[in-house]
Amino acid sequence: MNLSIIIKKERIDALIQWFSVRNPERWVLWIAIVLAIGATIYSYLNGYIIAYGDAESHLNIAKRVVDSLTPGFAQLGGIWLPLPHILMVPFMYSDFLWRSGLAGSIVSGAAFVISSLFLYKLVWRVTARKSAAVIGALVFMINPNVLYFQSTPMTELVLIAFFVLSTYYFVKFLQEDRIISLILAAAFGFAATLSRYDGWALVLMEAGIIVLLYFPYRFNPEAWKSFWKIESIKHFIVSRAEETKGSLSALIGKLEGRLVLYSTLAFYGIFLWFVWDWLILGDPLYFTHSEFSAASQQQSWLARGELPAYKNVWYSFLYYFVTSLSNIGIVAFLITLVGLAYFIFDKSIKHRIYILLVLLVPFFFNAATMYLGQSVIFIPHLTPTSFEWTLFNARYGIMMVPFAAVCVGYLFYRSKAAGKALIGGLLIFQIALYGIGYSEVISLADGTRGLSSGITKMHDAQFWFAENYDDGLVLEDDFARSVSLVRTGVPMEKFIYIGNKPYWEESLVEPQKHVTWIIMQENDTLWHNFLERPELEARLYAYFNKVYTSPEILIFKRISDVPSI
Amino acid sequence: MKNKLAIIFIILVATSLYALTIRGVAGSPDALLIKNNLDQATKPFELSPERGRYAHVFAMAETGRYDLSQAWADAVYPDIGYANGKFYSYFAPGISYLSTPFYLIGKEFDLEQVFTFGFISFMSILALIFLYKIAREIFELPIWASLFAVFAFAFASTAWSYAITLYQHHVTAFLILSSVYAVWRYTQRGQRSFLWSIYVWTAYGIAIFIDYPNAILLLPIMVYFLLSSFSFRETSQRYVLSFRMAMLYTFVAFITLAALHGYHNEYYFGDWKTVSGSIPGYKTIVERDILAQSDTEKEISQLAPQKNIVAFFKEVNVPRGFYTLTVSLDRGIAIYVPLLLLSLLSIYRIRKSITPAIATLLALVGINILLYSSWGDPWGGWAYGPRYLIPSMAILSLFVAFWLSRGEVWKKVIAFILFAYSSAIALLGALTTNAVPPKIEADFLGLKYNFLYNIDFFMDGRSGSFLYNTYFANTISLQDYFLLIYMALLILVTVVLFIVPLFETKHES
Repeated sequence: MNLSIIIKKERIDALIQWFSVRNPERWVLWIAIVLAIGATIYSYLNGYIIAYGDAESHLNIAKRVVDSLTPGFAQLGGIWLPLPHILMVPFMYSDFLWRSGLAGSIVSGAAFVISSLFLYKLVWRVTARKSAAVIGALVFMINPNVLYFQSTPMTELVLIAFFVLSTYYFVKFLQEDRIISLILAAAFGFAATLSRYDGWALVLMEAGIIVLLYFPYRFNPEAWKSFWKIESIKHFIVSRAEETKGSLSALIGKLEGRLVLYSTLAFYGIFLWFVWDWLILGDPLYFTHSEFSAASQQQSWLARGELPAYKNVWYSFLYYFVTSLSNIGIVAFLITLVGLAYFIFDKSIKHRIYILLVLLVPFFFNAATMYLGQSVIFIPHLTPTSFEWTLFNARYGIMMVPFAAVCVGYLFYRSKAAGKALIGGLLIFQIALYGIGYSEVISLADGTRGLSSGITKMHDAQFWFAENYDDGLVLEDDFARSVSLVRTGVPMEKFIYIGNKPYWEESLVEPQKHVTWIIMQENDTLWHNFLERPELEARLYAYFNKVYTSPEILIFKRISDVPSI
Repeated sequence: MKNKLAIIFIILVATSLYALTIRGVAGSPDALLIKNNLDQATKPFELSPERGRYAHVFAMAETGRYDLSQAWADAVYPDIGYANGKFYSYFAPGISYLSTPFYLIGKEFDLEQVFTFGFISFMSILALIFLYKIAREIFELPIWASLFAVFAFAFASTAWSYAITLYQHHVTAFLILSSVYAVWRYTQRGQRSFLWSIYVWTAYGIAIFIDYPNAILLLPIMVYFLLSSFSFRETSQRYVLSFRMAMLYTFVAFITLAALHGYHNEYYFGDWKTVSGSIPGYKTIVERDILAQSDTEKEISQLAPQKNIVAFFKEVNVPRGFYTLTVSLDRGIAIYVPLLLLSLLSIYRIRKSITPAIATLLALVGINILLYSSWGDPWGGWAYGPRYLIPSMAILSLFVAFWLSRGEVWKKVIAFILFAYSSAIALLGALTTNAVPPKIEADFLGLKYNFLYNIDFFMDGRSGSFLYNTYFANTISLQDYFLLIYMALLILVTVVLFIVPLFETKHES
């Protein structure tokens, strides 16, 4: 016995018609906005917005531009790229937005909405199907790692937004060869280079593709079919001038024009950063080799023998592969791989290899930086359990979610009705896996219990200080994060840190001159300065009382009846 | 007729080879005999899964109750739990219930334990029959290729080691293969499709009863079943979407089995939702000396919520688990059964002519690998090869046969060489022991960690085979016994690969 549902064709046709005239871009926009707000509320209520130690540092950098003992743009520093902080600055006039982290959430949330919208447009550009574009955007929008990160002041979402924008216009340029698209790709590439260092790899890749695209000679893959014949070797290289019956000089001119046009704008951000570091810190390469640089920090891991991917191609690949998987979700990741396989072999898509190369920039960049010892990722079950930490920087894999979105959207486009239903079902299944806890929101886990976490390492000193602070300037080594500035309730202009010239330098020699409180942590700059130099230690104890002691943190307070000399 | 002969041939060969290698001793060993005696390597109760399941069989057959005595709890230790003052193994109860009749039959011959283990061999033979039928009817392979698929799974994979002892894997493989076949028959919409529908639900219910993760493992079949129940028709004026109500009516078979399962849980564990794997562990109770305390029940009840079976499956385990199950030296399928690697070539070839049934089979392999890659212990404890992948081995052997089916000689030669290697490893495990440590433990204990570990037992003449130990040990060495079986197997496969095709007409092929 069968149960049958009979539907008149005209009704289905009307429904199809209704959908076809609607613009899903608006739906994507609204879904992204609703998801962004919902996820941010969730993070706020659970105290996750500033879970990462770096999240607070990003907020503080932006805050100091407008509110510090020595406010100004110099507070942007010379290690982290400035654009995400600059975007947060307008919201820093509100203490609430700074302390809650919502200032960062607004910026990341806006970046999330823009990314979602342009991922839709990017998938549409590749597939010319609205449904595939919606699926692609959804893969990004419903990813819990992305949703969490768009609620934080971390810089990943800002980079993703500029990455997607630049990629979109670059793909548009590849398809249409319109100069305006190239300029826009360069402009957003410029913004990406000032957001995170991954952006530098993006503009390099795009510039490289322009060279390959307009180079007067091209590689002929067809030659492989007869590669064993010696005379066929010359067929591997084909002259474009001969193919198009144009002149070689015209081709070189075109290459030169496109490359210069793109590079002038796209690489300008990198140039500005060198100039900035030179002007502010006296060293254009300060970000690469100062004590606060990522490379310097990796040296301590290397010394401990805990830099597994260093100079190891296989581990560099494997670590980032697994990190990407962990951020995308296992089911979505498997669909991505299938989509990738189909995409690679789909000759109907113009410049598909170039599109893939751009989308894979985060993979190349992160694997390369791990190989070079410029960054490190620890991921459970890959990182040896003998290491002190097995979860660190797992968030780097979030950069591969746009790639997954394009691949899944593309596969949806290529699939027949049953395949489309299967992909939809599997994506729902992926959400269910997150729901039952099978799939872990790895980026949130890193922020709440990994080495990246700021909240797991919160010292008792933090609560003591928040309770006992009355007034006066506080000297603290910001890099050591002894106490959380946003959580103490102390105004930002009351803190002296390394960026407050000349207060910092003077206080290291004569702490009594400006400072009422000194917070030092074992092995931080202040600890070494005051406790390992007898003359300064004597001065410290002459003017200050130790009011808080723990194995790691000491807090000193100025003795009020001893005058400064 | 030829198919019937082929099935009889499968039954005869499998019965003979399983009989030659089945693990056991005469009689019905009790807890005292097992503890520190039959629980050693190469003995029939070398590992806790067979001890745990057999203990319940013994209890049901001898006392009529499922729960275990203190002596059995100590024999089954450490995979033993405690609920309502009684002891139970962690394993799902299905295997114990289903094999109890075999124990009782064996009692007539004073071979209770051997017959109990023989239940698994029996189920394995049923699985082989369905494997053959799928090869013939769904893949439309010639008889020789279908036979090769059967022998590749049964005797060239580590599945052999688990067809002769009391594990759930072959029953799961049988339920998977028979269910796929049943759904495929259901889609043919023949007169008996209603019965096939009942069978699918029944198999699903039993599968959960014998191993809880089967609820997920068999999901692709249930999706295939669901989608097969829908049909879509287009006329000039309307679209017609139909659903076969048979699928809903026959759901009662599953409900009945689920209710029985719930009753078992309610009766023994006090809650229909409490499964055996989630009851408090006896190991924890012993370590904390809870039984000696005054408020024993309260202490134990506080342990129960701490156990969550689902929590053992985590995405974060996947990279390590996938590596372990596929290419690791201690458990990797590529190391133990390289023959099955040929299936990858076949899957590539078949991609453009994939049918729903074949897609379901591939999905089953995917789910199987994914599920047990997520498992906290992908090694399966001390085991021989990737035992969790036994259902996948059955399916992949079909694809190996598909790759061979065009009949090119060079492919057959490659397959034969890989068969020879894989079956040697399979037989080595079947004749010696499954108690092989994972590398991480082996390194710690200073032991070898894959089939190299078994070679030491082999050279020492230590076998788990009931027939060898009982009748042949004084006559021939274990090495000779191995060679006799091995040579017979290779001759058999040579015939299947190179002689049988000569007798098949083109039409039959």
